[in-house]
Amino acid sequence: MDAAGTNGESGESSVGVAEADSGVMLPQRPELLSTGFNPALSRVPAPETLCSTLDITLDFVPSWTPRRIPLKCIGLTLPEGVEFLPPAAPKPGLPAESRKAAAAQPAEGSSEGEPPQKKVTRLKPPPDALSLQDRLFYLLQPPLESWLAGQELIMPFEPFSYQYEGIAWLFSSQAALLADEMGLGKTMQTITAIRLLLRSGQARRILLICPKPLIPNWQREFKTWAEELPVVVMEGNGARRRMLWTMPGVPILIANYELMTRDLAEMPEEEQPKFDLLVLDEAQRIKNRESNTALTARAIRRRRSWALTGTPIENRPEELGALFEFMEVIPKGSSPDLRQLSRLAKKYILRRTKDLVMKDMPPRIDRDAELELTDAQESAYRIAEKEGVIQLNDLGDSITVQHVFELVLRLKQIANYDPLTGESAKLERLQADMEEIAASGGKAILFSQWTKTIDWLEPRLKEFNPLIYHGGVPTKQREPILAKFKQDPKAHILLMSYGTGAVGLNLQFAGYVFLFDRWWNPAIEDQAVNRAHRIGVKNPVIVTRFISKNTIEERIDRVLREKRELFEMVLGEGDNNNRALSLTASEIFGLFDLKARHKDGSRSIGPKPVPASGEAA
Amino acid sequence: MSGSAKTDQLRLGFMETIEVEGRGHIGGLLITNQNGRPLEFQCTTPVRPNRTQEILFGETLRPWLLGELIGSTLLDRVAIKPSLVVTSDPCLLELRNHTEVPIAVAESATGGRRGASGGDAEESRKLHLGGSVLRFHDAHNSDIDSLQKQRHLIPDSADLQEPLERVREALAETVRTVFAR
Repeated sequence: MDAAGTNGESGESSVGVAEADSGVMLPQRPELLSTGFNPALSRVPAPETLCSTLDITLDFVPSWTPRRIPLKCIGLTLPEGVEFLPPAAPKPGLPAESRKAAAAQPAEGSSEGEPPQKKVTRLKPPPDALSLQDRLFYLLQPPLESWLAGQELIMPFEPFSYQYEGIAWLFSSQAALLADEMGLGKTMQTITAIRLLLRSGQARRILLICPKPLIPNWQREFKTWAEELPVVVMEGNGARRRMLWTMPGVPILIANYELMTRDLAEMPEEEQPKFDLLVLDEAQRIKNRESNTALTARAIRRRRSWALTGTPIENRPEELGALFEFMEVIPKGSSPDLRQLSRLAKKYILRRTKDLVMKDMPPRIDRDAELELTDAQESAYRIAEKEGVIQLNDLGDSITVQHVFELVLRLKQIANYDPLTGESAKLERLQADMEEIAASGGKAILFSQWTKTIDWLEPRLKEFNPLIYHGGVPTKQREPILAKFKQDPKAHILLMSYGTGAVGLNLQFAGYVFLFDRWWNPAIEDQAVNRAHRIGVKNPVIVTRFISKNTIEERIDRVLREKRELFEMVLGEGDNNNRALSLTASEIFGLFDLKARHKDGSRSIGPKPVPASGEAA
Repeated sequence: MSGSAKTDQLRLGFMETIEVEGRGHIGGLLITNQNGRPLEFQCTTPVRPNRTQEILFGETLRPWLLGELIGSTLLDRVAIKPSLVVTSDPCLLELRNHTEVPIAVAESATGGRRGASGGDAEESRKLHLGGSVLRFHDAHNSDIDSLQKQRHLIPDSADLQEPLERVREALAETVRTVFAR
């Protein structure tokens, strides 16, 4: 308003203000011209007041308050494990580390000044576990190394890494055939996997079937590896056994094959026991699918089926079919071909050999002692062979493998010793070797096919304090015999039969093994040798096979060697120890040149050779 | 399995989150006993912040999303309440402001950080447990004291970072099995 009034007074003053404001001195006064509206500028303006309402409604008002977004969850409650009494505390004064020293292996990748990098074995969900909950169950378990090192599961010895893998594999398998070579710790891996199943609530009732002589061994191993697990052995009269079969609250029940077959076959369908896990040790016992043993084992109600054997194939690849049928991974009565067997083997069989996993294990040194028969043996042998072949030829087409078998046994017995004079080239060699072994404080195990031979040897080896362990020894006396052999420094030799002593025993303190005569199947011989050459062995094991030259033993050995080389196993390459087949019927006939005599000459008798599928000896 | 802790038992929680491309974050909480044996596991469905949340939460978005949202949901959901929740992600420490359960970030004890920096104040917020160093929330110093009373229940050989790996694997398996369909 003031400005307007001032401006309206005169053009001069207006200019003057402009000059003063701007501070610019104009060189001459500007000439003001009349425009006609100058007077209007001098009028006082008269403003009017109008009322108007403001429009305060906005089209969009952003508003936001934090709120919690509802989230859905997926949950899994893991089953509660079986509670047991805590394991006994280590004895005072015994350093904890010493408990783990025996089988400890150096940690991988460790270097001075750094803590060792421990290998970690994680459980993997089995390929056939489809539900998320099942898969998460395995993924959420701790690594085996820390699980087993925890306070709940003290391990007396640190397992080897391949054993951790085996335990993890078994733990997550519904159907499994653990076929590690003898001596690699199948028993320990099985016990530990059982322990984890019980601890994690995956199993509450487990049945373990094994050959009768191995029951004390399993009991001992359970005590060593899982002392907190209650183990009940199936024994006693019928009423007691019936009670044991169905008694609740027994986590682990051990029975032998014979009792299993006898008891369960008699039991009515509705009383048949049910188990979370059935383990068959020495599962080759069910290789004959139609045997009562196999039928009974397959009929047992269970959720998981594990089979253990070091020799999944003793004679024919088809034997695997029997094991797969037990494991319920093939339809009942089906006969998979070799390609199918191979595919199933990859999925359901875990087999490791010593060559593969125990590179640092002291070697097994095999040596064949080829011996000339003594004169008396030679004479007796030739007579027996000549007469035997004549008798076989006279049988003509009525000859059976049993006839030939009897002659083979007779000749093998003479190769061991001459029954008339008692002369024995093998005994002479054995005595010579044993003198050296005893002088150095060593121990040896001797295997023979016959208890009669073992009994014959005992008095002749008196100076070495022999101990006898064969089928004729009552079961209760067997454990003390093994204990004495281990503890008595004067007991230098243990005489065993293949049938009783070949499986399941731990005799790794014996540095020498003698195979006094040859078994029909190298797999059985290997089992026998591996009583001594197994985990924990500190020195090389020397294995001596006695072979009498120019006898049936040499011929059998040649056939078996050829078969080892020729037979391609289903179990894959690098498995040198299981390329072992028994002699087939045709091969047994082939040990002698048998010819039926006819008027117009002679012709060969016996079955034609059928590779890898004939009747086994 | 009871949720009530006995005096000789310690229930440990292990919480991790992972980001699933295009779907957001999912979180998992594993409850174990003091020996690492799993007792319960919960995991969330994926959650993804919208643009508004991203703008408004700014730098606090991850602590809010992972700690308050995912972490609280998981802790509410588990039937077995843990005495301690261990994680590898410092963002999850925010969860401590919404729960009474101590939350700790586990770091390797051999990582060379011990005594190397931070001085006494930082060191006082750390607890050496098993083979790990646990770092707690700045505003909850009493958490260490409450855990000191139970530390004897955790074996020296315990690896408190290992179960976190199990949680991550379980989350990855869940994503593969459920959310990838």
